[in-house]
Amino acid sequence: MSRRRRYEPPIKKNSTFTLNITSMTDMFTILLVFLLQTYNTAEVNITPVEGMRLPTSASMSNATEAIKISLSGDALKIDQNKLADIKNSEFLPQDLEAKDTNFIKPLFAELDRIAKSPEEKDKVHIKEGRILLQADRSLPYATLRKVMYTASMAGFPQLKLVTLVGE
Amino acid sequence: MRRPKKIRVNQSGEFDLDLAPLLAVMVKLVPVLLLSSAFVQMMVIETELPQVVSEAIQRNDKQETPTTVALEVDPKAGIHIILTVKGKEKVETVKLLGGVYDYKGLHEKLVAVKKAHPEVFKLELNPDGKVPYDDVVKIMDEARQARDNTVHFPVFDTKQGKEVDTNYMFPEIIFTNMMEG
Repeated sequence: MSRRRRYEPPIKKNSTFTLNITSMTDMFTILLVFLLQTYNTAEVNITPVEGMRLPTSASMSNATEAIKISLSGDALKIDQNKLADIKNSEFLPQDLEAKDTNFIKPLFAELDRIAKSPEEKDKVHIKEGRILLQADRSLPYATLRKVMYTASMAGFPQLKLVTLVGE
Repeated sequence: MRRPKKIRVNQSGEFDLDLAPLLAVMVKLVPVLLLSSAFVQMMVIETELPQVVSEAIQRNDKQETPTTVALEVDPKAGIHIILTVKGKEKVETVKLLGGVYDYKGLHEKLVAVKKAHPEVFKLELNPDGKVPYDDVVKIMDEARQARDNTVHFPVFDTKQGKEVDTNYMFPEIIFTNMMEG
C-alpha cells in the first residue's frame, strides 16, 4: 500500500524579499513639504520661555541679533540668567532704586557688565544697543516700563518686542 | 535558409522606479529640517521703515511746529486721540465697548486722522501703568498699518520726484511716558 504524501504549502525558501518603499516615500514627501513650510529663515532663534504667554501681533518682521531679555510672571532674565524676582506683577523693593522706582538695579548692572565686557562690547548689537524683549501678555505696562527705562539708561535704547504671529 | 532570430521587445511601458536613493536623501533631509524648523513662529515689532517713509518722518521732524498724534490709554475711559496741529490740540475719545477697548473704532479714527495728515508717521503712545501689555501690542497693531488693502496714503518720494502710495499709517511708535515716574 502506498502512503499518501502530506500536502505541503508552497513556501519560498529564498530568504531575500523586496520591500515596497513607495508608501514610505509618499509619507516622507509630505513630511518634507511640511518641514520646508515651517523652516525658520530668521537670523536669530528665539526660545520661548516656559509658562510665558506672548501677545499676538500682525507684525511680520524677523528678529535680529540682540540681547534677549525675558519678563515672565515670576522672573526677569537675560537669556537663562535670572536677575530679579517678580511677585504679583511687581518687582521686589530690594531690586529697585529707592529714589527712582523705575530703575531695576540688577538689570542695569548686568547690561552695564555686558556693554563693558571685552568679548561682547565690539559686537554690532551691543554697540547699537539692541534688545529683544519677551514679556508675558498679562503683565501691566508699568512693569514693562521699568525694564524699558532701565535698558535705555544702560545704553540699550533699541527695544524690539517679541510677539507671536496672529491677529 | 535559417530565419533571423526575432528579438523580443517588451512593448508595455511599465517599469519599477528605484526609490531607494530618493528615500535615502529624504531620510537625511528630514532631521536637518526638523532641527531648523520653528513650530512656534515669533516675530518682533520694530521700527525699520521703507526709505520713502523714513524720509517723510525726517521731513516732518524738521518742521518747527510739527503735527503730532498721541494716544493716551486709560483703562477706565478708553483711548484718547490727541491731534496737535500748529500748536492747537484736538482730543477725540474712543470709549470702551463692554469694558474692552474698541480696536475697530480706534482703527477707523486713526485712518481718518492719517487721511487728513498723511505727512505724519510718528505716534506718541502713553498707556496707563495698569494697561496690560497685550492691549498695548493690540493698539500698536491698529496704528501701524491700514487693515484695508485698498486704503493708501500718499507720500512724496524725493528720488522719483512724485507721490507714491503706502499703507503705513503710524509705523514709528514712541512710548513718550517711559521716562515718567
